[in-house]
Amino acid sequence: MIRLTIVTTCILFKIFLPNFAFASNLNPEKILDSVDDLYRSNTSYGILTLSVTTKNWQRTLTLEQWSKGEDRHLIKVLKPKKEKGLTTLRVDNNVWNYMPKVKRVVKIPSSMMASSWMGSHFTNDDLVKQSRMVKDYTFSVTYEGEREGKNIVEISCFPKKDAAVVWGKVDVIVYRDDYIPLSIIYYDEDLQLSRTLNFTNIQMMGGKKIPSQMIMIPVDEPGESTAIQWKKIQFDLTINDDFFSLRKLQQ
Amino acid sequence: MNGKRDMKITKLSWRNLWRNPTRTNVTILAVSLCIAVLIIFQSMIVGLIEKAKFTTTNLVIGEVQVHAEGYLDDRSIYKSLQNTEEIHLIAKENNIGLVERSYGFGLISSGTKSAGTQFWGINPESELQHFDFANHIDKGNFLTNTSLKKIVLGRKLASSIAADIGTELVVFVQGADGSLGNELFYVAGILKNMADNVDRGAAMILREDFDILFSANNLIHEIALNSKGRFESEEIQKLLSARTADVDVETWQQLMPTIALLTEKMSVFMRTFFSLIFGIAASLGVMNTMIMSTYDRMREFGIIRAIGTTPWRILKQVSLEAILLTTIASVIGVVVGLSVALYFQKYGFDVSGSGNMSFGGVVMDPIWRASVSVGIVFLPVVLMMLISIVASIYPASIAARIKPVEAIHYKP
Repeated sequence: MIRLTIVTTCILFKIFLPNFAFASNLNPEKILDSVDDLYRSNTSYGILTLSVTTKNWQRTLTLEQWSKGEDRHLIKVLKPKKEKGLTTLRVDNNVWNYMPKVKRVVKIPSSMMASSWMGSHFTNDDLVKQSRMVKDYTFSVTYEGEREGKNIVEISCFPKKDAAVVWGKVDVIVYRDDYIPLSIIYYDEDLQLSRTLNFTNIQMMGGKKIPSQMIMIPVDEPGESTAIQWKKIQFDLTINDDFFSLRKLQQ
Repeated sequence: MNGKRDMKITKLSWRNLWRNPTRTNVTILAVSLCIAVLIIFQSMIVGLIEKAKFTTTNLVIGEVQVHAEGYLDDRSIYKSLQNTEEIHLIAKENNIGLVERSYGFGLISSGTKSAGTQFWGINPESELQHFDFANHIDKGNFLTNTSLKKIVLGRKLASSIAADIGTELVVFVQGADGSLGNELFYVAGILKNMADNVDRGAAMILREDFDILFSANNLIHEIALNSKGRFESEEIQKLLSARTADVDVETWQQLMPTIALLTEKMSVFMRTFFSLIFGIAASLGVMNTMIMSTYDRMREFGIIRAIGTTPWRILKQVSLEAILLTTIASVIGVVVGLSVALYFQKYGFDVSGSGNMSFGGVVMDPIWRASVSVGIVFLPVVLMMLISIVASIYPASIAARIKPVEAIHYKP
């Protein structure tokens, strides 16, 4: 009888232990979803600049982008002149580039998914893998409180066994108050720091409070970075599904 | 005095050798056959190894390659060669073939199929002059110096994007200035299978097209040198290293260590193996003959010992018989072996019947030729000479150690 009581107590503890560890009312799932939905809603439209700095060159592209849901994305180059009209279309896991100079569409093969998108430090995969973090990772709150004068929450995410994810671990750090991200830190399969995505310049844009600037800093290329600056963003416009089609791309 | 005595021994040995002409002739035949076969086999093996080496280097790699420091580690388009004048000068002074190549990565697409490729910016005329791969065209034609916007593809790459002659290809790359280049190219030719990196990934275009596509200004990533065997790769490397700085100068052996190791190991193994087998066979033959002739002459040895001949002299005489025998066999063996080897060196034989002969992924010309050198003739002769001396020591020592009285009464 006594043994049974002990066992029951242990089981009860085991069940409730996670809740005891962080007794606050934080819901990490909700936080990750809000980070995922930061720049998107049902639909979004925006103009942004992409500034890439490498050891050998520095250049800025102005881009126009549309998105619908989680898996439709269209990005068109406005500037500079050489690349004007160059368009990337993403539907589900497929990425196509439209090349205005030769008026042709090229599908990015899976072997090239890990290579650079538009010469930036983002990969083609980054475009595709914008699915829900909660789907691909197991996660837990690993820090809550003050850090460098900011009240933050840190969530560590580890990929699920069958998830098609290249990272070994992803740390998402958000403001405690409004869940706006501060940074997302990516670790490779050996859990070595691989790259950091920092969010700054929080502004009201398109009726939402969002960081208007993102900077990607790769660890293995010191001095290099890619910065995205949102110039304009609007949410929940009406965009038809066939806007994100190959036919549309070639027009 | 001494010379005169030696002459006598030689004469005696010679006579002894022909007391049983059949036995001696058979042994001579066996030893000369061993020598001839060894010469032929070794020259064939060396010929095969040299052929493998030549096929490897002459196709596309060259004997020596020069890259900017560390280029081969990351193949960055920015690691290009600077100041190539000195390299050109060295090549010219020594009459070594030289080609310059530019490399860049990009995307190639035909219809709905696309693949990542390595673009080669080349000069077709100098590639044709100094290397062989341009002749290995499966379909269509290789580039000429005027084939702008034309492209030659590796075979597996072509089939993976279902490209044929004349197919329009969309090319998408990131230029050296970070800008994104896109162009249309038309397939001029498809290469035969030759080496895996070429088959799967090579898309060859003119250097002029390369510069436009990659917004590059004469970026050279590789200089390949090929003397077609006139120089050893290490010699070329030494010449270049002495007069260049901040570049990686590597021989093909360093670039393809597995193939280099394989050729060397194969050569050493095969030659040792065959020498050993034929050496043992020949030595048993010589030893048998000498033992037989020693026991035949037991009484005789006893008598000459009894009248004062020293054991040393008997030992010398019996050994000399073996040496004489081997000398005759060597002359015959060298004449026969060398003639056959020289014939195979000149005409070779066609092994194409058994399908493509390839080595380390490189397809070889199907004519297998021998390669004759002094060493190849010298080695079997010296080997047989040593072996026959060693083989004769045992019977000679039997003859030298006999007790005259017992020997005189010896009945064979």
